[in-house]
Amino acid sequence: MKNDFQERQFEINTFTQRSLFITIILFLVIVIFLYRVFYLQILEHDEFDEAAFENKTYTVPVQPLRGRIIDRNGIVLTDNIATFDLITNPSEINDPIVFLNDINKLINLSESEKTNFLNSFDDRAFFNKELILKSNLNEKDIAKFEVQSFRFPNVFVGKRFRRIALGNDSFAHVLGYAGVLTDTSFISKKFNRNSWNDALYSYANGLIEGKSGLEKTFDDVLKGKFGYKQFEVDSKGRFIKEIDYLPPVKGDDLQTTLDLKAQLRAANLMQDKKGSVVVVDVQSGEIVVLLSAPTYPINKMANGISKDQYDELLNNKDKPFFDRSVAGRYPPASTLKPFFAFHSINNQLTNWENVIRDPGYFILPDNGRMYRGWRQIPLGRIDLATAIVRSSNTFFFDLAYKSNINDISDDLIKFGFGNTVCLDCFQEDDGLVPTPNWKRENLNFSWFKGDTVNLGIGQGYMISTPIQLAYYAAIIASKGDKKKLFISELNRQNSSKEVITAEAFNNSDWQKLHESMLNVIESDLGTARGLRNSKEFLVAAKTGTGEVVSLNSSAEYNRIREDISLRDHAIMIAFAPYENPKYAISVIVENGESGGGVAGPVALGVLEELLDE
Amino acid sequence: MNNKIHLDPYLFISISMLSFIGLFILFSASESSFGAISRQLIYIVLGFFLFFIFSQPDPDIYRRFSLLFLILSLFLVASTYFIGTEINGAKRWLKFYVFSFQPSELLKLALPLFLSSYLFHKKLPISFKDTLIAILFIFACFLIVARQPDLGTALLVTISGIFVLFLAGLSWLFIFLCLSAIAVFSPFIWNNLLQPFQKDRIWTLFNPESDPYGAGWNIIQSKIAVGSGGLFGKGYGQGSQTQLNFLPETQTDFIFSVLAEEFGFVGVLLLVMIYAFVLLRCFYLAVNARDRFCRLVIGGFIFTFCFNVFVNLAMVVGLIPVVGMPLPFFSRGGTSLLSLFIMFGIITSMASHKKFMQR
Repeated sequence: MKNDFQERQFEINTFTQRSLFITIILFLVIVIFLYRVFYLQILEHDEFDEAAFENKTYTVPVQPLRGRIIDRNGIVLTDNIATFDLITNPSEINDPIVFLNDINKLINLSESEKTNFLNSFDDRAFFNKELILKSNLNEKDIAKFEVQSFRFPNVFVGKRFRRIALGNDSFAHVLGYAGVLTDTSFISKKFNRNSWNDALYSYANGLIEGKSGLEKTFDDVLKGKFGYKQFEVDSKGRFIKEIDYLPPVKGDDLQTTLDLKAQLRAANLMQDKKGSVVVVDVQSGEIVVLLSAPTYPINKMANGISKDQYDELLNNKDKPFFDRSVAGRYPPASTLKPFFAFHSINNQLTNWENVIRDPGYFILPDNGRMYRGWRQIPLGRIDLATAIVRSSNTFFFDLAYKSNINDISDDLIKFGFGNTVCLDCFQEDDGLVPTPNWKRENLNFSWFKGDTVNLGIGQGYMISTPIQLAYYAAIIASKGDKKKLFISELNRQNSSKEVITAEAFNNSDWQKLHESMLNVIESDLGTARGLRNSKEFLVAAKTGTGEVVSLNSSAEYNRIREDISLRDHAIMIAFAPYENPKYAISVIVENGESGGGVAGPVALGVLEELLDE
Repeated sequence: MNNKIHLDPYLFISISMLSFIGLFILFSASESSFGAISRQLIYIVLGFFLFFIFSQPDPDIYRRFSLLFLILSLFLVASTYFIGTEINGAKRWLKFYVFSFQPSELLKLALPLFLSSYLFHKKLPISFKDTLIAILFIFACFLIVARQPDLGTALLVTISGIFVLFLAGLSWLFIFLCLSAIAVFSPFIWNNLLQPFQKDRIWTLFNPESDPYGAGWNIIQSKIAVGSGGLFGKGYGQGSQTQLNFLPETQTDFIFSVLAEEFGFVGVLLLVMIYAFVLLRCFYLAVNARDRFCRLVIGGFIFTFCFNVFVNLAMVVGLIPVVGMPLPFFSRGGTSLLSLFIMFGIITSMASHKKFMQR
């Protein structure tokens, strides 16, 4: 019995000890566990709280509207036009073909709209994305749909903006267009990459950015600031409710110096022509007209163009996308002669009284080579003024011959050649002012005296752009004052006035130069005398004929002129009104042959439009 | 004395609190759907009924029928191989009309009961032969459940057997030898016995961020739920992790995270205190039980219960790898809830029937 009791006691002790052992271990586990929970819930609470918040919220960007572009008179040139699209939620459509049949009974869809929809459907079905079924609904369609909309919970009529430019595409190059965004590197950390797929669009073509022209140059000004909408979502990304909304900020309007009416007039005069018209304000440097012809359908480029049409434009031999006004490379031809008047008198190589005999050609004394233009006839004894009025080549060959090429280059650069002259033009070309150094480095030839002689009549190596010629015309008009050109009012303050330093070319010289340019039109012998009676104000001008190929006889020219693209370019620079010049203009008509006869009427028409106001 | 109702008020109150708090949390975890919890409520009512029934018989009855009970349980588990309903590739369930039943839950009761009764008469310390026989039974039970497959339950069944053996006085030398053997063979177990997904779970524990949307998802979301709960929680039905379905398995394995998210550290402390109280109360009841059989049964039951609780808790806060082990009284599941009530019924029976000798 005692043995039994001892054994029983031993058994109880064993059990108690071992139970206690397990219980203590379990309590240790409890302590570790509670510390762990304490760590998660108290010490690291903020981090997990934020993680929980990020889990349940989904922030999508809300697209801002771009600012408008406005002309000098307050007319809107590029605007956001509200349109109405029939938009579907692909994720709520089970069978796209059945769906199309149903909706087609209500709203008539074209075959291409159907195919486009079906093609995009599969791509987008699994995104929380919208798919446009029909763009630009008319009022009748909208009304028809609204009545029956309860039958189509997966479709809605959405107000979407389109970026539309006015002015019959005449502004295509200068305004540029905004197209579908390709560079996504700007995407900030605020929104994760996925949420861009679900961005709330204001524009029918989604996220857009400036692609060319002012739209590109001033993209930062125009683009505005994204807002956001924050949603509560569940683990599957399903929408629960909206919790926050920050409206987007519309981009700033861009005030420009452009003039819609004058631009339209220029475009009208340049119809069926290739070339450019540039008008600048002589005093301020404002660019008033900036036209390149031919132009291209800017609104189609912005809002959708067919592949065929785009390819056709791209391969068009007239290069409609090319902006001739700021990037066209032309010889200044005879329009450079007023510059040589300045250069020669300033360097005391000639004066207004000096007279030479013009036999219709110039013989280079060094090697006896004859220089002539095929149009040249003997003009007899002429002075500088007459040489400008009648555009004597011999006279300016002679002046150039007496000049030093490096001095010429330096002065050309002072007049804006060889450099960009505009503060905010898109892809402006530098042109070219040739120097002996340039020739050696690029053509591996030393400079010949004949090269200088050729430069005397604006031919040879020198290249100018239409906007440089307008800038040059403005400097002459203002008698040596120069201001950098600009389109946006934002750049007005950046265009400071400079004066061309001239020791020996004084005000009376400028006056004589102006008079001779006036006589280009007003004198009976002027190269543009045909324009005399077609206007009600006085215009000073200089014509030019830019050689596409260099020839010496009219017989040769008549042969090559069969090919229109080899005909000479017609050039004119001018400023008006004569007494108190306000506008300076350059006109280039490619293969137009006659500066006075072809470019002249364009220049006068545009000036008339501006001076009438 | 014969018509005395056998009931331990402390245990009764504790498990009532656990089951009703559990129901309350489950309601939140099931998106406040009455349909989901009404079924659970029926099980709780039925459970209390069984609790009272199983509290009444004399422990000797359990002892006498323990072998029969074990054989019956094994038979039912084995039958799932042939007529079981397959869910997620595992055959664990027997279906009777609308009522599904998981026989492996019975083994968690039957094995400790049988081992306690088997070791009841044995002299201390337990002989090597008896140890081997007991281990044989444990291993058989483990295999039959593990092959369903249901590793979580198999582990619990095994642990319940080991606890009884340990409490009965398994020699320390033997324990030491076993642990050494496991340590030596662990590379072999890692390489040959663990499934790839099980290895994944272990790796994931150490580095959940390596696969945040795959293997790591559950544990990451659970930690976020617990951590974001803070001191007082987000409020009942307000836990975003729970309500927006970021937290997986809210009604089963991860239901603790729901409580932690919505009631915070305070809620967690309360829950742990109740479990700890149940443990201490049963420890007290076991030491004061009338004989060795009762002690071993109570001990085997309660430590298995606590093991189950803390494995679940440690799992959801990322202390140990994810194993499918629900939280007793909280996770949805009829059979396990009923077997819990039966278990506490048997514990009450073991504790409240006093010795005849003292009469």
